[in-house]
Amino acid sequence: MVFRRGLAAAALAAALEFALSTAAARAAEKAAALDPAQVERGRRIYAERCSHCHGLNMVTAGNATYDLREFPQDQAERFFESVTNGKNNRMPPWGDVLSQDEIGDIWAYVRSRSKS
Amino acid sequence: MKRLLLAAAMTAFLPVGAFAQSAEDLAKGSTDTHNVLNYGMGYNLQRYSPLKQIDKESVKHLEPVWNYSYDDNRSEESQPLVYNGVIYVTTNAATMAVDAKTGRQIWKTKVEYPPEVPRIVCCGIINRGAALYDGKVYRTTLDANVLALDAKTGKEVWKQNAINFKDGYAMTVAPLIADGVVITGISGAEYGTRLFIDGWDAQSGKHLWRTYTIPGEGEPGHDTWPGDTWKFGGGSTWITGSFDPELHTVYWGIGNPGPFNSGIRKGDNLYTDCVLALDPKTGKIKWHYQFTPNDPFDYDSVAEMVLADIKVNGKPTKVVMDANRNGFFYVIDRTNGKLLAGNAYVKVNWADGIDMKTGRPKFTDVYRKAVAGEKVQVWPSIWGGKNWEPIAFDPTRGRAFVNTLNMGTNYKAVPQEFKVGELYLGVDFGADFWEWPKGADGKPGPRGILKSIDPMTGKAKWEAPSDLPRFSGVLATGGGVVFTGRLDGEFEAFDSDTGKRLWHFQTGSGIEGQPVTWEEGGVQYVAVSSGIGGVYSLYSGDERLKSVPAGGSLWVFALRK
Repeated sequence: MVFRRGLAAAALAAALEFALSTAAARAAEKAAALDPAQVERGRRIYAERCSHCHGLNMVTAGNATYDLREFPQDQAERFFESVTNGKNNRMPPWGDVLSQDEIGDIWAYVRSRSKS
Repeated sequence: MKRLLLAAAMTAFLPVGAFAQSAEDLAKGSTDTHNVLNYGMGYNLQRYSPLKQIDKESVKHLEPVWNYSYDDNRSEESQPLVYNGVIYVTTNAATMAVDAKTGRQIWKTKVEYPPEVPRIVCCGIINRGAALYDGKVYRTTLDANVLALDAKTGKEVWKQNAINFKDGYAMTVAPLIADGVVITGISGAEYGTRLFIDGWDAQSGKHLWRTYTIPGEGEPGHDTWPGDTWKFGGGSTWITGSFDPELHTVYWGIGNPGPFNSGIRKGDNLYTDCVLALDPKTGKIKWHYQFTPNDPFDYDSVAEMVLADIKVNGKPTKVVMDANRNGFFYVIDRTNGKLLAGNAYVKVNWADGIDMKTGRPKFTDVYRKAVAGEKVQVWPSIWGGKNWEPIAFDPTRGRAFVNTLNMGTNYKAVPQEFKVGELYLGVDFGADFWEWPKGADGKPGPRGILKSIDPMTGKAKWEAPSDLPRFSGVLATGGGVVFTGRLDGEFEAFDSDTGKRLWHFQTGSGIEGQPVTWEEGGVQYVAVSSGIGGVYSLYSGDERLKSVPAGGSLWVFALRK
């Protein structure tokens, strides 16, 4: 009896460790990929251009506008496309006033505030 | 051939007045219970109807008659108008005529504007309503156009552009028709613009006059701005003014100065945060009164300048009253601009009161420190003691019903460079920007309180608090019932005398609209738009709103037969 319980506990512990390390690995990956200076530049552009729709500091209930904290981190192309060209006749295009670098800065800020 | 002739003869006998509203009609709007001819239900903006069929006893039998979809997922802030059984209502994307009895659409004319427009619309993709006059429906558009449509068909009669929207201008305002002039305001004080009020000829659309709210070189008041700051001064005009046809005077509220950081624009900054008394034919300023000189807190004074005839010190007096964003309720003699009363109607800490001799606020250290660039906690918040959501005034009870707001702002001015088309505010929007209310027990307090206020004292006879703040208009009625709506979608009726909630109905989305009432065929109807997405949704970060879906529609109610 003790033997089986020991095995189960060990298996559980191992599973937990794996899950934690994967999450940790993901977080580390995310942190490593984000340049704090770029995130700060993005934060400023976001405050000037985006906050009046997407919320102060990106906090929004998501019923008036899209909640950017839920934007999938691995869909950079989709983000650049939506910001550059606009979307669904709601999101305005910014390609004529924001450079791709500036949109990249905003993308870094959005990823830094992501819920996932 | 005979049929054609007959048809032509029939048309010839259709009364010309079937779709035409005269100046006399508009002037009597506040007592014309068969129609809703004016924004604010009358030139006085009282939002009061004498109708009594719905009263404190019968309101529990109020039920929906029909619902009409706007096909729009934005905040629905438009006030419906009603004329001879037809409802005229607007969204950002369309103007509609709907049969008031059946809810069936008669016509719908779309408004198309460039996709770039939301870049410079700070506070909701909306429209606040139309104006009716002489067979035409007038409205503004987000890309700063003024339109006149034929009331019968919805076809465009004329269209005028006020200014190129790109640098930060937008129009959401319902026009005012006064002395044959279509008067419109404009938004954009958050973008370093210099704003104005326009007058257009109702028949032709010809531009008649423009009154800048920030005086230019050589104009009186220009010296209240240092250097170049007047060019970016703001002074928006986005809420419809009131009109006294006997005095031939329009009363228009003026918005905040830009940027919010007031340290860079020392001086009174006329005419921001003022009420202007104007001649409708020329736009000339007759007099002004300023509520908040050198304002750091975005205490926009655009909101409804309500006209009433009340007793002041026993003497019947023609007044204009305003539940100002700055937290004080003002009563002003509307014949000459003399201040009669100014009292706090919510928690205020930036001023101790209003000096009745000078008309100026008695500033506290909170104000002085904010101007000097220190971090302060200011009450009311930058949304004000009340935001755009209009009050109702019941002249039979002498009470103003106000959806007040109950929160503060942790405010700090920061340097801000002006860039065309970008927000020009100069304030630190940190994570602690909003100071939400707490009860005595430390638990979250109500963010909104509907109050029944005595205009001459600012004191509330009763209070109806709510967890979510209300950003919808109020309607007062002769039946002793006050209507308003909640952000979670409940349309509500309160007892005018006690504040007890008597009835409510769950609509499909949050309510940010302006309720109205009229009578047709012996039945009293109440209408309100449902549809969330305005300034509280955009800026509060209130996660409770996650469960309130967007989706605009018009609801009409009447008593169960």
